[in-house]
Amino acid sequence: MQINYKLQDRFDLVVFVPVMFLIIFGLMAIYSSTVNHPVASGNFQRQFAALIISLFVFFVIYFLPSQYLRTAALPSYIFSIFLLLVVLVAGKTVYGAKSWMDFGPIGFQPSEIAKIGTILMLSHWLTDKKDDINNVKDIGIALFIGFLPVALVLLEPDMGTAIVFGIITISLLFWSGISLFAMFVVLSPGVVAISSIFGTLPFIVTIIAVLVSLVLFKRDLFNSITIFVINLSAGFLVDFVIKYLKPHQQRRIASFLDPNADPLGSGYNAIQAKVAIGSGGLFGKGFLQGNQTQLRFIPAQWTDFIYSVVGEEFGFLGSIFIVVLFLTFFMRLLTLSSFAKDRYSSLLIIGALSLFFSHFAINIGMNLGITPVIGLPLPFVSYGGSSLLINMVFVGIISNIYRNRKSHT
Amino acid sequence: MNDSFFGSYFRKNLLLIIIIGFSFIVGIQLFSMQIVEQSKYSEKSDDNSVKPVYQTAPRGIFFDRSHNVLVGNKPSFTLRLTPADYDTKLNGYVESMLGFSDGYISKVLKDTRQYSKFIPRRILKDASFKVIAWYEENQANLPGIDYIMETQRDYSFGVNGSHMFGYTKEISADMLRKRKGEYEMGDNIGFNGIEKTYEEYIRGTKGIKYVLVDSKQKTIGRYKNGETDKPAEKGYDLILSIDKDAQVMAESLFVGKRGSVVAIEPSTGEIIAFLSSPGYNLADFASVTSNKIWRDLNNDPEKPLFNRATMSIYSPGSTYKMLAAITALEEGIIDTNYRINCGGGFQFGNRFFKCLHVHGSVDVKTSIEKSCNTFYYSLILKIGLERWAKYSRMFGFGHKTGVDITEENSGLVPDQKYYDRVFGKDRYPKGILISLGIGQGELSVTPIQLAQYVALLANNGKSAKPHFIKGFIKNLTNEYLEAKPEYFDLGISKHSFDIVRDAMFRVVNGVGTAGNIRTPEFTIAGKTGTAQNPHGNDHAIFVGFAPYDNPKIAIAVIVENAGFGSTHAAPIARDIMKAYLVKNKKVAANAN
Repeated sequence: MQINYKLQDRFDLVVFVPVMFLIIFGLMAIYSSTVNHPVASGNFQRQFAALIISLFVFFVIYFLPSQYLRTAALPSYIFSIFLLLVVLVAGKTVYGAKSWMDFGPIGFQPSEIAKIGTILMLSHWLTDKKDDINNVKDIGIALFIGFLPVALVLLEPDMGTAIVFGIITISLLFWSGISLFAMFVVLSPGVVAISSIFGTLPFIVTIIAVLVSLVLFKRDLFNSITIFVINLSAGFLVDFVIKYLKPHQQRRIASFLDPNADPLGSGYNAIQAKVAIGSGGLFGKGFLQGNQTQLRFIPAQWTDFIYSVVGEEFGFLGSIFIVVLFLTFFMRLLTLSSFAKDRYSSLLIIGALSLFFSHFAINIGMNLGITPVIGLPLPFVSYGGSSLLINMVFVGIISNIYRNRKSHT
Repeated sequence: MNDSFFGSYFRKNLLLIIIIGFSFIVGIQLFSMQIVEQSKYSEKSDDNSVKPVYQTAPRGIFFDRSHNVLVGNKPSFTLRLTPADYDTKLNGYVESMLGFSDGYISKVLKDTRQYSKFIPRRILKDASFKVIAWYEENQANLPGIDYIMETQRDYSFGVNGSHMFGYTKEISADMLRKRKGEYEMGDNIGFNGIEKTYEEYIRGTKGIKYVLVDSKQKTIGRYKNGETDKPAEKGYDLILSIDKDAQVMAESLFVGKRGSVVAIEPSTGEIIAFLSSPGYNLADFASVTSNKIWRDLNNDPEKPLFNRATMSIYSPGSTYKMLAAITALEEGIIDTNYRINCGGGFQFGNRFFKCLHVHGSVDVKTSIEKSCNTFYYSLILKIGLERWAKYSRMFGFGHKTGVDITEENSGLVPDQKYYDRVFGKDRYPKGILISLGIGQGELSVTPIQLAQYVALLANNGKSAKPHFIKGFIKNLTNEYLEAKPEYFDLGISKHSFDIVRDAMFRVVNGVGTAGNIRTPEFTIAGKTGTAQNPHGNDHAIFVGFAPYDNPKIAIAVIVENAGFGSTHAAPIARDIMKAYLVKNKKVAANAN
């Protein structure tokens, strides 16, 4: 066997370089939004320290023997569920959600660790189900694996992270090869539920669409009716659930539907973020020169609204550059997953891709006012040590898979 | 890939479409916001900018124990420069008009470049009316420059108090990092003395005024008519235990002298007067301290910045005899019948330790009254090093008193462990011990330790940690918060104290060494001392308390290089006592 010593053969720069660029952009934006802030002015240094630790962990994972990734699946999942239960009892409440654990000076969110456990476990389960994936029992178990953390995270309540877990689960099911009809059965109640939030008319339209689809799928009558009833009740259930939501959550939904309705309340951040980005223009106002950012118009801008710092200070060119970096990264992951040496590796990469993409879409969407304000950080860019660490763990897993892509198991 | 369905092109392409599709929507949205509608958003960003303007709070005022002002505040003007609005072409003009050296403004801008350009920099503190008048006239041509009213310390109340009050200084960049969130660039912070200890109470809470600024960050009005503004809250006023009359008297008596005074109320540990001489002028530190003043103070051979009262160490000399006496009485080594014969000294081995006179038959009281060394040369050998060191530490020597200013020395009480370290185990020459008996040798004490020691002698071993603070006044509510002194009791019998106090009474009122300070208004008890000084003339020391029956003030006075305690230190102590006690009598008479 001939060993190829070329770096690109063992280490995927197409994954690593865009990630490093995003991290550097993030550090600059964190610096800009916190340097003059009375409370957060040490965040840049903290994030930098987190980066050093994250890079170390990244290389450790990169050099791990590949079979370890598979062995770790069940233990890490059980550990994740354990942590999610512990945080509900002993966690610390931050921004209204009981999602933080403190270990001395270090705080972290168990839901971050649960991302690893869940993706490993789901991929593990789906790897062995190849031809018989379309039976109810196996899909049911997969949904259970994926939705147990969703339920626990919703109890915190952390809506954003719950949505991410949902998207990961659906994406892995999709990639594992379930039939379009099974996909339709899994997805349609969710779509109906969401549409009913927007009012009666969207609800009726969606229900009709479901009905038409069922007719086109040409399944037997009993199954079709059952599925239709499930969809119908999902729509009504949402109305019922919204009544029992906390007032600040109800306001958030309302403010997404019309951000201008409550400009100083829930919609404030969204409006100010848009103003910051829009006023950036083509070239931006310059590093440390954005008045929206420097005059602290957006609370905690260095976390969920970090993209507005980039938009204001680096303008259209900077904002597009971030999108291009993500796009490069995502497309590379898709390619890697298609050419992975085994099913497990391929599923892992899709799990990571769905995780990163859902964060990217929801975060940037909320900064630009095209999705609701759901508190999720922008991967690699937003301030947050545990989030950066977990993201780098996934980049480590991906790089590990790349390193071992030619070996045989 | 042997799996026909898994990873199919269809599924891969579907994901690709979602990813690219979303990115495309983001791109379109960015284009529409940042390119097409940029002017609309820019306008919004510029128009409605609300800017917080922080206002410094006046520091709390220091009052003495009778509520006379010791340190106050006075208004002053501070000229500021906001880089975002300023044009550096003006540098030369502004520098010449304000009398700055060339390049001063560029230096300020460079030094503060890590801060937002929207934060104003203070360029001239304590600006004169002339400067303000010039600014008002030329305001239109001076974009980015403004002035604010601030308060600065006012020291015009007849008290110097430099070492106890301390001064404030502009917060350093290093400190600013440590205390982020609490302070901003250009803020003052208590640097030493009481200003430092009680910084958290004194500094108050900053006010915030929200103003609307336009695209050029020019103020165009108030935000919501000031509804959301928060006024600055002045810090807590301090009620200090200092007596202004006693303090002023002490300061006047020490003009031209080096040394220190600490006077304490024995029953409470409250410091009545506190002085280290020479001092410095606190007013020099009230606004901007010139480099020349700094240089002069630092190079002065008399070390005016050094707090002698808590940091300088001396041999206590004969004033330490009471400690040996108390130890011997309390431990049952001697009683009042115990006598020795003083033949003018003490032979130990081949060394002769001298006494100042031939005292003949001496008991413990006479030994203090006449300051007989011979008595203590033999007594210390009976007491032994460890017991003597134990009582020394009980009376507060060898460790910091914990007074509420941070600059303090612990002094040194040598003990077995110390000498073992210096000479090797059990090898120290016993002659050393004999010197300790009369307060010489390695023993070193600070003036505040001496004052605490006298206070304990005066009040049967019961007192509290020496302290300046009596209480705080919250300015908004006028609520008074009393400080809680840390009381303690040495647990030594009153009998032993009575004997020693009687001897101290005789020092002043018998045939003792301080008969010169007798005064008809009250009865003083005390002890003189002379501290050997290897670097020059001896230091004069006096410790004492008054009135004898009901001690209200205990005092330690040290005059450096002045010779005998009786002639130089004792009269100072008497005059300070008089300034404190005689007025108190008047007040009491008025109350009746």
